[in-house]
Amino acid sequence: MAVGLVIVSHSARLAEGVVELAAQMTHGAVRLAAAGGMDDGGIGTSLARVTQAIASADSGDGVVALIDLGSAALIAEMALESLDAEQRAHVRLSGGPLVEGAILAAVEASVGSPLDEVLATAESARSLEKLKR
Amino acid sequence: MATVEKTLILVNKVGLHARPAALFVQTAARFQASVRVVCNGRQADAKRILPVLQLGAEQGSVLRLFAEGPDADEAINALTRLVQERFGDPE
Repeated sequence: MAVGLVIVSHSARLAEGVVELAAQMTHGAVRLAAAGGMDDGGIGTSLARVTQAIASADSGDGVVALIDLGSAALIAEMALESLDAEQRAHVRLSGGPLVEGAILAAVEASVGSPLDEVLATAESARSLEKLKR
Repeated sequence: MATVEKTLILVNKVGLHARPAALFVQTAARFQASVRVVCNGRQADAKRILPVLQLGAEQGSVLRLFAEGPDADEAINALTRLVQERFGDPE
């Protein structure tokens, strides 16, 4: 299939919105999973939601998780640690920008690129200028 | 192997941004041939999204495509059609 993406955000709606945008680029070719908010729907990041999202995004080719801010990174790292060694070996965390990173990584994944190329593309989204100067 | 070359003018309104750029890359990636695109003095691998976005190709920009490989003609034809059909956008 293709490398999957997990969007980790403090807000369920933000995570779902990023998934919605990225899905516009991939037409079902890439598994995209939102892991936003706490288990009760409040603002925060939930270890259970991140772990579930990783499982649902993984089709066997690996997963790149993108994160919004601060403690989302901590929760994502904890989720990674909770996986067994074999699963963990094909999950990567990206510190790239959430929106541009997700969209670029989704396109990269959609053409069948391997895990580390999808990760590199998510990271490279930092260099994308929003405004012409 | 011979290089197949084609010069195109970007006719869609938004240029090679977001969705059109994604379609361009996804189309190029269907072929074995390597495809390069030159625009505004920059060169990009047509199968990589970031370099394609960084071309900054806008409506009216001239794209030069260079393809090399067993299906180079088909790749150029598919990309030409995509550009000429404005990536499926109405304008």
